[in-house]
Amino acid sequence: MNIEKGKITGQQLLFLIAGFVQGSVLLIDFTVGITEHQTWMVILVGLAVSTPFFLSYVMLAKRFAGMNLVQINDMVYGRFLGKVVSLYYIFFFLLTLSFNIRDVGELYITFLMPDTPFVLLLVVFTATCAYAVSKGIEVLARVSHLFVFIGIFVIISTFPLLLDQMDFSNFLPFFELPFGKIFQGVHIVSSVPFGETVVFLAIMGSLNNTEHVIKRTYSGLLIGAATLLIVAVRNIAVLGKTQTIWTSMSFQSIRLIDIGTILTRLDFLVGIAQTVLIFLKCSLFFYALAVSLSQLFGLKSYLPLILPLAGIEVVIAATVFQSPVDHAMITQNAGIIYSIPLMFVIPLLSLLIAKIRGLPKFERGKGT
Amino acid sequence: MGNKMNLPIMKLILWFFMLFTLSGCFGGREINDLEIVIGIGVDKNESAGNILLTAQIVKENETGGTGKDGGGEDKAFWNVNSTGNSIFEAVRQITHKTGNRLFISHNQAVIFGKDIASEGLEKYIDFFLRAHEMRPTALILIAEDRASDVMDAKPETKKFPAVNIEKLVESYAFTSHLYKVNMKDFASCMMSDTKAPMAPLVSVMQDKENKDIYVSGLAVFKKGRMVGKLNEDEVRGLLWVLGKVKSGVITVSSPNEQGSAVLEILSAKSKVTPELKDKRIVMHIKIKEESSLSEQTTTENLATDSAFERMQKASAEIIRQEILAAFDKSKELNADIFGFGEMLHKKYGNEWKALKDNWDDLYPSVELKIDVESKIIKTDLLKKPAWQSEGGK
Repeated sequence: MNIEKGKITGQQLLFLIAGFVQGSVLLIDFTVGITEHQTWMVILVGLAVSTPFFLSYVMLAKRFAGMNLVQINDMVYGRFLGKVVSLYYIFFFLLTLSFNIRDVGELYITFLMPDTPFVLLLVVFTATCAYAVSKGIEVLARVSHLFVFIGIFVIISTFPLLLDQMDFSNFLPFFELPFGKIFQGVHIVSSVPFGETVVFLAIMGSLNNTEHVIKRTYSGLLIGAATLLIVAVRNIAVLGKTQTIWTSMSFQSIRLIDIGTILTRLDFLVGIAQTVLIFLKCSLFFYALAVSLSQLFGLKSYLPLILPLAGIEVVIAATVFQSPVDHAMITQNAGIIYSIPLMFVIPLLSLLIAKIRGLPKFERGKGT
Repeated sequence: MGNKMNLPIMKLILWFFMLFTLSGCFGGREINDLEIVIGIGVDKNESAGNILLTAQIVKENETGGTGKDGGGEDKAFWNVNSTGNSIFEAVRQITHKTGNRLFISHNQAVIFGKDIASEGLEKYIDFFLRAHEMRPTALILIAEDRASDVMDAKPETKKFPAVNIEKLVESYAFTSHLYKVNMKDFASCMMSDTKAPMAPLVSVMQDKENKDIYVSGLAVFKKGRMVGKLNEDEVRGLLWVLGKVKSGVITVSSPNEQGSAVLEILSAKSKVTPELKDKRIVMHIKIKEESSLSEQTTTENLATDSAFERMQKASAEIIRQEILAAFDKSKELNADIFGFGEMLHKKYGNEWKALKDNWDDLYPSVELKIDVESKIIKTDLLKKPAWQSEGGK
């Protein structure tokens, strides 16, 4: 009855999660504007805060081994309410995917290809994701190793080149900002890179065995978080006070690399790593969206949904925000609010209900 | 289902591939359509409120060396002027003269004229940080007079004034009489509540028939407005505290007072610890300097323990005087060039909130406790001077 026939191993899941979190590296910029030089601790606190929720996703997936998000919802909340909850998730996947596609477009239009039509960039990127999704989760899982290493390589290799420009006193004073700002920052961090891993509820059903799954998925999250932390520390140390004014801190700090006037203009490295990692993140969102939607409609395969969804995504991405300013405002203030229930409430509730009702029970039919 | 499925997908891939290879680059610009800018000068225009922008453009046919003999008057660069109410307006205004949009990715330096610097740079710096072709590593300089004159002075050994200026700034390490400041550093100081931004000064020196570019000293800003200058000694005093002295020359009088010993600074380290006790702000500055004896103008043999001791003391005293000179100047300008405010902020986060608002009044009352440790670690190729006096044997 499963839509996806492909199976992934626990180790592949580790890299998928690591790559997924790394894909949000540029999105910590949303936080930096609020939490300035304390961003690094906001990331750590955000990680700690989202750990129990992340574990709840994994435990839910472990409990309902082999089932995807829609099947779990159907079983836990019943046919009708389950569908409503699933729709909520699908709506979230749809919007978050289009925001991320838009991020890529904005990245290219600002830094790499300023004269290229915006929509063309979105179309090409979405088409690539659609192609990857049509190949199935196994293919994505296989390339995730490569992508994670590209991301880590770029970050690790550029770090020492900037050492001479780093001023570690930029981290002082440690506690300066009012609690409200820190709270908002923690909220953004715990939902944008970490909470979004809720999308793996739609993917973990493809695991070939659920042994050690908690250890493996959590290591993936830690690798991703460590990457975010290194980037945040680098940006604070290099840019200091100015980090709040740049459109993209990572680009700006890499643009400062100037080793003997020869090793300069390395910003293309960030461009490559970022494209590759956001591609992985978008493909996972796209895959989750396609699988959940086809499960909801009771289709046999998710392939027919890919092209129409890609079209819808491009249209949303092209029209949803007027400018990056709009984008940042909405994400900082509204975007993280509507996603609170599905990241922090529903998975825990599902787990609780499943425990009380002794789910999953297989004797009475299987979900849909 | 292998083959049946693969064919349409292969076609699709080919299709996309063609889409990219056949359409060419969006916004691609060929080299002969580029006006490569290597330096920008910004001056105040005579008519009120306007700015005069000078862009130094590389002449493509002159750089290759295939110039028709003669050569003397031929310049490899072209300085184009334009006016406008804003930098960007002036940059675009230039296309009326050049026919092409300026390409500023290779810009080495931005030079602001003195008049515009004392009016305030905050209005003019935004473009240089925002424009995506600008590098944050481009240098920023202040002309003692007009920036356009600086751009005009053709250097003897190099083709381009802007490249020459960049080289001159990079050579700060030999004297420590100026400091290299790029766009990002300048912006960082502008954003600070207390720290005064600074930029090296550049001037034109008339030398017989030739004009030379001279880069030395720092212009001091306060809230974006240039308020004063530091001379060479004061700059070194500042750099001692910041720990940025790379090399330089210290001249001390020799122990017998008959000549002088010239020391070359080899390395310098500094540690500044702010202290706040009962409303008094004390800065403990600890400097460790190492130098070599590189010249002496006396016949006395200076390579002795007692002579070393006295020279070390004398050079420590000179360093102290330089720091105090810089501090006195900064008190006079009431500009926190050392960044003492930032240091206090970082160490005393809570107390700083009360100090922050009247930092301008507090700054002159800051006390310095300077502790200099100067060491002479070698005498280069000589153990004794060639003309040694009788007493020294």
